[in-house]
Amino acid sequence: MKKTFLPLAGVLAAALMMTTAACSSSDDKDSGGSTQPGEKVELTYWTWAPNMDKVVEGWNTAHPDIHVTVNKQDGGDPAVTKLLTAIKAGSGAPDVMQAEYQKIPTLVSANALADIAKQVSPAKAKFPDSAWNAVTLGSEAVYGLPQDTGPMMFFYRSDVFDKLGLKAPATWDDYAAAARKVHQANAKQYLGTFSSNDPGWFAGLSQQAGASWWGVNGDTWSVAINDANTQKVASYWGGLVQEGVIDNKPMYTPEWNAALNDGTQVGWLGAVWGPGVLEGNAAGTKGKWKVALLPQWDTAKQANGNWGGSATSVTTQSKHKEQAAQFIQWLNTDPAAIKALATQANVYPASVDATATALTSPPAFFSNQSDYYSIAAEAGKITSPFTYGPNVNVAYNSYNDAFGKAAQSKKSADFTAALSTMQQATLDDMKNTGFKVAG
Amino acid sequence: MAVSTVLPVAPATTQPAAPARERRGNRRISPTATILLLLGALYCLFPVLWVVIASTKSAGELFSTFTLAPSTHLFGNIADLNAYRGGLYWRWMANTALYAGIGGLASTLVSAMAGFALAKYEFPGKRLVFNLILAGVLVPSIILAIPQYLLLAKVGMTNTYWSVLLPSMITPYGIYLCRIFAAATVPTEVLEAARIDGAGDWRAFGTVALPMMRSGLVTVFLFQFVAIWNNFMLPYIMLGDDRLYPLTVGLNGLLNQGANQPSMYISVVTGALLSIVPLVALFLGLQRYWRVDLGAGAVKA
Amino acid sequence: MARTPQSRAGRRAGAPYSFLAPALILFALFLAAPIAYSIYLSLRRVKVSGLGLGAGSRTEIWAGLQNYTRSLTDPEFLPSVTRVIAYGMIVVPTMLGLALLMALLLDAGRTRVGTFARTSIFLPYAVPAVVASLLWGFLYLPRISPFTDLLNGLGMAPPDLLSDSWVLYAVANIAVWGGTGFNMIVLYTALRAIPTDLFEAARLDGATDTQIAWRIKIPIILPSLIMTFVFSLIATLQVFAEPMTLRPLSNTISTTWTPLMKVYRDAFTRNDIYSAAATSVVIAVATFVVSFGFLKLVGNRAFNQED
Repeated sequence: MKKTFLPLAGVLAAALMMTTAACSSSDDKDSGGSTQPGEKVELTYWTWAPNMDKVVEGWNTAHPDIHVTVNKQDGGDPAVTKLLTAIKAGSGAPDVMQAEYQKIPTLVSANALADIAKQVSPAKAKFPDSAWNAVTLGSEAVYGLPQDTGPMMFFYRSDVFDKLGLKAPATWDDYAAAARKVHQANAKQYLGTFSSNDPGWFAGLSQQAGASWWGVNGDTWSVAINDANTQKVASYWGGLVQEGVIDNKPMYTPEWNAALNDGTQVGWLGAVWGPGVLEGNAAGTKGKWKVALLPQWDTAKQANGNWGGSATSVTTQSKHKEQAAQFIQWLNTDPAAIKALATQANVYPASVDATATALTSPPAFFSNQSDYYSIAAEAGKITSPFTYGPNVNVAYNSYNDAFGKAAQSKKSADFTAALSTMQQATLDDMKNTGFKVAG
Repeated sequence: MAVSTVLPVAPATTQPAAPARERRGNRRISPTATILLLLGALYCLFPVLWVVIASTKSAGELFSTFTLAPSTHLFGNIADLNAYRGGLYWRWMANTALYAGIGGLASTLVSAMAGFALAKYEFPGKRLVFNLILAGVLVPSIILAIPQYLLLAKVGMTNTYWSVLLPSMITPYGIYLCRIFAAATVPTEVLEAARIDGAGDWRAFGTVALPMMRSGLVTVFLFQFVAIWNNFMLPYIMLGDDRLYPLTVGLNGLLNQGANQPSMYISVVTGALLSIVPLVALFLGLQRYWRVDLGAGAVKA
Repeated sequence: MARTPQSRAGRRAGAPYSFLAPALILFALFLAAPIAYSIYLSLRRVKVSGLGLGAGSRTEIWAGLQNYTRSLTDPEFLPSVTRVIAYGMIVVPTMLGLALLMALLLDAGRTRVGTFARTSIFLPYAVPAVVASLLWGFLYLPRISPFTDLLNGLGMAPPDLLSDSWVLYAVANIAVWGGTGFNMIVLYTALRAIPTDLFEAARLDGATDTQIAWRIKIPIILPSLIMTFVFSLIATLQVFAEPMTLRPLSNTISTTWTPLMKVYRDAFTRNDIYSAAATSVVIAVATFVVSFGFLKLVGNRAFNQED
């Protein structure tokens, strides 16, 4: 049926030609990067911190020639994926991006973040070393300015603890003992839960134990997810879940919210940004919580982990990198901006000036604990180093699946096995992509 | 000029317009039938009832009171939802109406034209085109979304209204339906008569065929409207600016605020309730236009 | 079908093509081109050089069938396929069975609640899958579900509907809830179009409604049933939104629970669109084979107007 073929072939050929044409054309539809003086520059800023548009207002009023528009994104992964897809496709990326620390190697590896060392290097003094390291990856380049950090802290119901005669646990053994006591007193109550849906939480705990899941040696990466330190953490939690004194359900679910409300969850290993979560999910329990440092593995060598925290970065697709870098610098070092970040965007600013200028009183939910922010500062100081690799998302995704199974089975052996699964998946992925990996 | 025509073999299912059954006189009421139907209705309504009740609770009450006990905070919740990013929710609703309305209209027109051509003309390649269309129905849309995004990104069109509208305008299923409607409702001799009177093909289509296909077109429009209204994957991938989001993506975003923010469950629940209202109103209002009998040979889950 | 005299053929030869043009152009741009690009992507992969940081460290290279092999031999892929098949075997018969039952009950016309029931059962169609899954999620989680209080009141412990043994049914329920109404309306309208004289005679002879349904009505609407079946099957094989939304609520749904979730995970979480493209092509081909095969099997009964 030759006659039937021809018109259709024509259409398909047109489609293919259009595809190849689109693929090969460079898409420089906008004009070049430089702007005339006095011309208004429009910047887009992708972020998921709440109320960022109010924070940014401060900049917009003071800088009418550089206007920043906030595009609120879904938290975490989806925004990064959108950015990476836009970078790969050649258009659609914003000028400024909120980049979580653990995502920075992935983003740099995909050539998504611009090096703004020329513009912002002097700002180094304003940030703690661990945060600065996270945005430079140990090199001379600077891929963003630290915006906020998330030193982990332990929140607990002081009324329940008082009733049971418990004190804030100083070591993990104390924590386990407290967990047992809480659960034995009331079989419905748990000191905490093991969440298979929050890899950042588990990474922070492993960080506190001294683990660093990735490492760099010259141009070779190494992956050490199932090193001795992380295994210690995994079997610790596996043991508690197996015993039944720690719950096995994920956090941030309606069930978990209900548990915070009705007192079936009496403790939470959260981070400095915790009050906002507690207030939003369990407003009725206000005033009943207290905060303390995380329990320690070794009281002689105090350590802490990080959960969350991001930098503000300029993307490589931005046509106004200079102005974007100016904005970032204002956002993260200007005292008014820092104050707005702390009070309106509900983040704990990374700047070392923050505690002095913006965090003078405790958060509303913890009005009963005036030393809230000094504990937080202490926690930040003792945070151990941790290197993130270029495929954090693969590792985190593997965590979700592997520890989901382990948490559901409630067997401690499955927890350590899950670590091996994570290790293998991460290692395989890096090798497959062509990275040089040790072992 | 005698034209030999063969009427399309119309199965019993294609009697248009008039109700196919006369009023059923006095038949005994069957309690079994009533109970079964009510059970079905209860099953389907229960989650909706839950949403209505949950929307009346404050954030503190959502997780601490008995599920089916209503409270009085509905308007407070709506106000909170309204306060999110300066009334962005209503913009989401307007966006959704735009995507669904314009996308639906455009795709109906495209499908009508294509279905008409397939039903009423003989031409080389017809069978191949029809099989292509059918093959298009069987392709899962999620598989298309990512490469569609990459292709649109190469021409810099992502994150615009067009990036959601254009892919919505082609619906192989709509073309399939229109083909059936055209074959069933537009008698060829009427078309022939119009042509004999001197009308061109386009005039014949516009003045003769389209009005006769009208009820089928409304059906196709409504299908597409609902499909686009409820679509999540395409706008999720195409859009980065939350001011362009439809309701599905916007509500999903409220759930994913990031680990260091509380989830906005109450706003999501209230938003879900408000988002159902327009579609329900649409269904109830346009009930008599749902001429699915003509499409009885072609259905979709 | 009209047979046109040859003398008119030339003048009108262009007409069908101009009617088809918008559809064909859109089809080429938004269906054919993406599919072609997907196939192209599935044969490529990314290779890094050095530490992999910084510009120019990633290049796209030819991968041959590597992505396909990795995808098909992924230990999670086969379980996801069998799971989806099991899911389909639960959803499709249940949903169509309920739809058929409700349609027959409505058509028998022996109830006063017909309009109310019809509207109510159709209502879930107005609810997008993401919202429906969230609502049912609230109803499933034992601590906050109203069923918990009800069952506790009756002295029974509420089942954990998101546990390993129940989760498949939990997800299936959402699909059944959302899809029954639509299929019911379709089957109902097919039933309404049956001329009454076809079964009035049987009724006069004393046949019950059930007998009439089995012996007369169902055989007549068989083409509708077949098409509903095929399209439900296709939709079921593509299940994605419901498990995706339920996943963060429990431990029992992995990120690769269904094949399409694996595609999403590869593309969006692992940023490996090449693997995702390969898996998509596999799924598309499999869907094709299943549906075309099934349609060929039941012959052209469903296509009454096929030439």
